[in-house]
Amino acid sequence: MRPYVSITQATALEVLSSPLSLLVLLAALAMEVFAPVFHYHQFGDATRMARDAAISALFTCGAVFAVFGAIRSVRREIETGTMEMALAHPVSRSGFFLAKAAGVAVAFTVFAVAVIGIALTMFAGAAVGGAIAEETAQLARVYGPCVAAGVAAMVLPLVLAAALNRFFRFRFTLTAFLLATAIAAVAGVSSMFLAGGDAMRLVPAAVLAVAPAYVLAAAAAAFAVRFRANAAAALSGVALVLMLPAADNYYRAEALARGGTVPPAYVALAFAAAVPAVVGFLLIGIHFSRNRE
Amino acid sequence: MEAENVVSLDNVSKTFRDFWLRPTVSAVDGLSLAVRRGEVFGLLGPNGSGKSTTIKMILGLLSPSAGEVKLFGLSPRSVAARRRLGYLPELSFLHPFLTAAETIGYYAGLCGLSRREASRRTRELLAMVGLESVAKRPVGEFSKGMARRVALASALVGRPELLVLDEPTSGLDPISTKEVKTLVKALAQGGMTVLTTSHLLADAEDICDRVMILNHGKSVAEGEVSSLGTSLEEFFLAKVGSVQDFALAPFLR
Repeated sequence: MRPYVSITQATALEVLSSPLSLLVLLAALAMEVFAPVFHYHQFGDATRMARDAAISALFTCGAVFAVFGAIRSVRREIETGTMEMALAHPVSRSGFFLAKAAGVAVAFTVFAVAVIGIALTMFAGAAVGGAIAEETAQLARVYGPCVAAGVAAMVLPLVLAAALNRFFRFRFTLTAFLLATAIAAVAGVSSMFLAGGDAMRLVPAAVLAVAPAYVLAAAAAAFAVRFRANAAAALSGVALVLMLPAADNYYRAEALARGGTVPPAYVALAFAAAVPAVVGFLLIGIHFSRNRE
Repeated sequence: MEAENVVSLDNVSKTFRDFWLRPTVSAVDGLSLAVRRGEVFGLLGPNGSGKSTTIKMILGLLSPSAGEVKLFGLSPRSVAARRRLGYLPELSFLHPFLTAAETIGYYAGLCGLSRREASRRTRELLAMVGLESVAKRPVGEFSKGMARRVALASALVGRPELLVLDEPTSGLDPISTKEVKTLVKALAQGGMTVLTTSHLLADAEDICDRVMILNHGKSVAEGEVSSLGTSLEEFFLAKVGSVQDFALAPFLR
């Protein structure tokens, strides 16, 4: 197992160290933090906006992160010859591909933790604020710290990572990414204490929005073995379009709007549908890997 | 019983095909060779003669169109055969985001070394290639020569029985070239089998026990370096063709 663990670790490190990954994470966090704030003052429906912004950020930015993370990682191995180097070691071709896909999945999971953490924070802030405040000033007092936590998760990691890079030669992008994830996770857990079970209503919906990204990551990694980056991205886009009807879990989040939650059985069902898709794409990737010269 | 030949190619051919499976290039044509245990074997030839294709078939990276390749008596694609192999490619293919120590540690992991053993071996090899002081710098920031040293250390990390070197002195300055040649000789004296390709005939002459000269994918000569009776360069030119005398005058006016 050790060779494959090494490949998975290096792949996760590569994806998390990519400036594009950090950019996508910051875009997702900005979408979550600012979209509900702007809309709140216009429409007065902060809870709904916080929820929709969070799930949209997870779904769209998650898809971009998974697809481009997988394609960049696999294509770089092929085009720079590092795959050739790795396959000259006691590593099977199918094992190499699976370890690469696992590395992308690990990196995406870190991304999802950060995005869900801030989603919970904003949702909790909106829910509590909406429940206790009758005036905008009061609501802003409750909602403000949540926005501050979100902004801190975007700005503080950049400042700290720059300092750590300057004085201790830490990797800037990787450090910023991991710090943002840590701040978001702490903020998310804290928000659960703030809002109690109310914030937890978002979790099943967020998990549903994450599931298609794992399928897309597997698809993109498989296509990247056989096709160049542009073609692999286009084919992954086709996979996304084909998946959209199945991603009606996105719309099931409507249940939240009525004060309910997505039933755990539905989440399990969605994952049960995602697993064969992931396995199918991984088998395609293994087939491409074995026949690649 | 283990095969005496570490590497053997039996009437191997490789034809590359395009998207429609039409043959485009015949890179290797009916090549047979054997690399014996403990020797330094040089695969020489002009550009496009099929050296790298042959190396890639030996490593299991390419499948032969015809014939059979054996590595330690096994298929080159078998994990068991590749466990005993170290490879230095022509270009130093390294992950630019990993530091020198992480790079060697990564390849130690691929060889199945435990974390502790990998860490110890990484320190040893960094010292051997003289990169201890830059162990924590990403290899993406390294010069070509430094990257070459990291790649060489990575090739040796699993204590291979067979070391495959594709243009090992490519990109190295004269001092580093001499160090690499000394290292290869020392490894061979320690019992390691070395298969190397080189454009630099003087380098090959210095380190190889036996050479094979390829041209257009075919073997045109094979033998012990000590029994050539002439310099390797003269022998090579006699087998492969003469040097073109460029008319430089028009460009120098």
